[in-house]
Amino acid sequence: MATAREEQKAPAEITPERFSEITLAIEAELSRFMVGQADLIRLTLIALIGGGHVLLEGVPGLGKTVLVRSLASVLDLDFARVQFTPDLMPADITGTHIVTEDDGGHRRFEFQPGPLFTNLLLADEINRATPKTQSALLEAMGERQVTVGDRTRKLAEPFFVLATQNPIELEGTYPLPEAQLDRFFFKLLVPFPDAAELAEIAKRTTGSTTIELSPVAGRSELAAMRELSREVPIASHVMDLAVALILATHPDKAGAPDEVKRYVRWGASPRGLQSLVLAARIRALLDGRFNVALEDLSAVAPAALRHRIFLNFEADAAGVASDAVVQAVISAATEGAKPR
Amino acid sequence: MERVDGLLNRARGILVGARALTWAARGLAIAAAAGFAIEVLIRFYPIDPVLPELAGCALLGLVVASGGWVRAWPSRLQVARLADVRLGGRERLSTAVEFAAAEGFLVWRQRADAGAWAAEADAAAVSDPGWPVRSAALALAAGGALLLLALAPNPALHNLRVQRATQAAQDQSSAQIGQLVKQAEKSPNGSDPQQQKLVQDLKNAQQAVKKAPDPQSAVAALSQAQSDIRSLQDPNLAKKEQAASAAGQQLQANAATAKAGQALSSGDNQAAASQLNQLAASLPQMSRAEQQQTANSLAQAAAASAAGNPKLSQALQRASDALRQGDTAAAQQALQPAAQAEQDQAASENFNGDSNQAINNLQQTKSQLEQQAQAAQQQGQGQSGQGQQAGQGQQAGQGQQAGQGQQPGQGQQAGQGQGQGQGQGQGQGQGQGQGQSQGQAGQGSGSGQGSGSSSGSAAAKSTEKVYVPGSSTGSGTPQGSAGDPTTGTDSNLVPYSDYLAQYAATAQSEVDRELIPADDQQLVREYFQNLGS
Repeated sequence: MATAREEQKAPAEITPERFSEITLAIEAELSRFMVGQADLIRLTLIALIGGGHVLLEGVPGLGKTVLVRSLASVLDLDFARVQFTPDLMPADITGTHIVTEDDGGHRRFEFQPGPLFTNLLLADEINRATPKTQSALLEAMGERQVTVGDRTRKLAEPFFVLATQNPIELEGTYPLPEAQLDRFFFKLLVPFPDAAELAEIAKRTTGSTTIELSPVAGRSELAAMRELSREVPIASHVMDLAVALILATHPDKAGAPDEVKRYVRWGASPRGLQSLVLAARIRALLDGRFNVALEDLSAVAPAALRHRIFLNFEADAAGVASDAVVQAVISAATEGAKPR
Repeated sequence: MERVDGLLNRARGILVGARALTWAARGLAIAAAAGFAIEVLIRFYPIDPVLPELAGCALLGLVVASGGWVRAWPSRLQVARLADVRLGGRERLSTAVEFAAAEGFLVWRQRADAGAWAAEADAAAVSDPGWPVRSAALALAAGGALLLLALAPNPALHNLRVQRATQAAQDQSSAQIGQLVKQAEKSPNGSDPQQQKLVQDLKNAQQAVKKAPDPQSAVAALSQAQSDIRSLQDPNLAKKEQAASAAGQQLQANAATAKAGQALSSGDNQAAASQLNQLAASLPQMSRAEQQQTANSLAQAAAASAAGNPKLSQALQRASDALRQGDTAAAQQALQPAAQAEQDQAASENFNGDSNQAINNLQQTKSQLEQQAQAAQQQGQGQSGQGQQAGQGQQAGQGQQAGQGQQPGQGQQAGQGQGQGQGQGQGQGQGQGQGQSQGQAGQGSGSGQGSGSSSGSAAAKSTEKVYVPGSSTGSGTPQGSAGDPTTGTDSNLVPYSDYLAQYAATAQSEVDRELIPADDQQLVREYFQNLGS
């Protein structure tokens, strides 16, 4: 029973109940348009609430772009889409100075913002752009600002990048560098729908009915949800497991499983730990709890770590995917975290 | 937090109880395994008694069980974590415990959520899963193996016990010989070279017995000591006594020499020496006729003692010759060696008494040592390696048993001296024994000798009370009833019947082990049967 001293008011503008309510409303609205993909939607929401960027990977036609576009609709955020191509230049996404002429006939340089100056950016097929253009995203994703010329401009708040990439048709693509990948909060794999979902997709998209999504939350709600999620308490042994998960991805650490020692070239960065813990806090709230559980970490670990584990040539030769290594890491770390 | 605390308290009680059971089983397993290891170890490195080591194993198990239980005592946070895992709390309890003093809106909500959840949780499910089956199985297996090993024969342990028993027997024998040494050193004849040699022989025997590697060697050392002491004795003492007695009887016929003759006949050598000196002093006062009669008596006495005591005989003959020629001074001078011979004989008798006592005591010690060694060997019968030692002991005991069978002391020497020829030894022993019994009967110390020498004749009478020589004082003091041992000093002696069964058993054992030649085995059996009938 709560004591009188414990009777406290929520400092944020949002309560845990409202948090769940908004999240469930977003998921419900998205499910009107998206068939299946509940986990994908939940994890994407977690990343957005956490203020992180998401890298979506899947074969064409699975609804990656639709998901991002739908999110922008239900969250009432500005949306921009950039189709990354090999000839895309950095200025094409950051913006550039152009010569303008005023009414008086005076010409002057004026900054023309690029598509980065939005709330929700869909970077479609990001791996098709050159490394030069990909790197132009680094500052924007990490610092949420853009420097053009001698001036640095803040991006809009919130700023999310939802990038997609195609795991096939890799000819003419440029794999994202490690520094770029590390800036993504999650890397989500878009699964292929099952038979029932396929039938439902066909039914929804080939009929005469047009689905209109309505916004259920805005910038302020997102900011409040992010603030609330950061206050979720996490017990020390749960934090220890998060740290153990990160350390276990490094082949030179004691707790690393055999798969890591054999197949991993470099493990997850501290930024991975931040993503892991923050995502676990949000997941706990979404689950109606007020503390982080061990299972929260295990649940978000694949999305938070799979793009932060860099495999070696032996793994490529053996056909070992990073997800298999992450599962081995989770098993080893959770086994070690069991109380005796 | 009351609900959380209540749940955690109940969970802790359950955990502590379950862990007590677990650690008890582990402690039991460790104790049993350690006990089993000890039992295996003492089969190669025997320890006796092993009970303290086994008690140590039990103590080790107790320490491990109690120490492990105390160390396994869970903290509040540990209980919370276990409860979270086993009750599916999803870290509600552990977070609430850890953030019990923290402030914040979500922290407060978290505590409330944990409390609500705790109210419906079942603390019983927090118990450690399952019984400590592995530890209990290990304890059972090790305990069973320990019991089997403890009940199974342990040859190494038996050997150790035999060694200790035999060493104790040797130490006891050495102590007994030490007592003999003290007695011999206190003897009035302590300055006598023979007595000193006797003491030295006893000391050598004591050291030899103490340092002997096995009981057989100790018995051999005792036999050697007996032999050495016997070699110090005058073997012709009996003949001398007989000759002196015969001379005394001749002298008793003459009034002038009657006292000396009586003293000689009675075997009182000191008195005889004194009387001979008095006779020498009285010669000048005698008439010529008395001198001639005395000369005749002395000549007859010299003739009677010539065979057994030449020194006495020669002195008496010289005195007789001098008296016949009327030379009283020469006669007086001639009687002095005769008196000296009697004094020497008295000293020899005293020494013989002491040495006989020492020999008999050594014999007793030897018998005890043999019995103890035999008992110790019987414990180790049927064990590998032990049989060879027993065989050695039997060989060593061959000579001993021959000596035992011929108890009469002197006869024993003959038996041992011949060793391998037991048939001859037996015959000589009997012959000497009989001779001694007659001679010593007059001294009253012949009861022991008589028993051995009779060898199934006179001593076999059931009414006769015979004493073992080992218990005789052997002082040679007259008992006054020379021919009847039953009137001897019973208080200082032990009835022969007390030892008969023991000696008969020893003899039978020797027969059974075929240490006595087949031709003589029946003789030995009949000998003891006659003694017992």
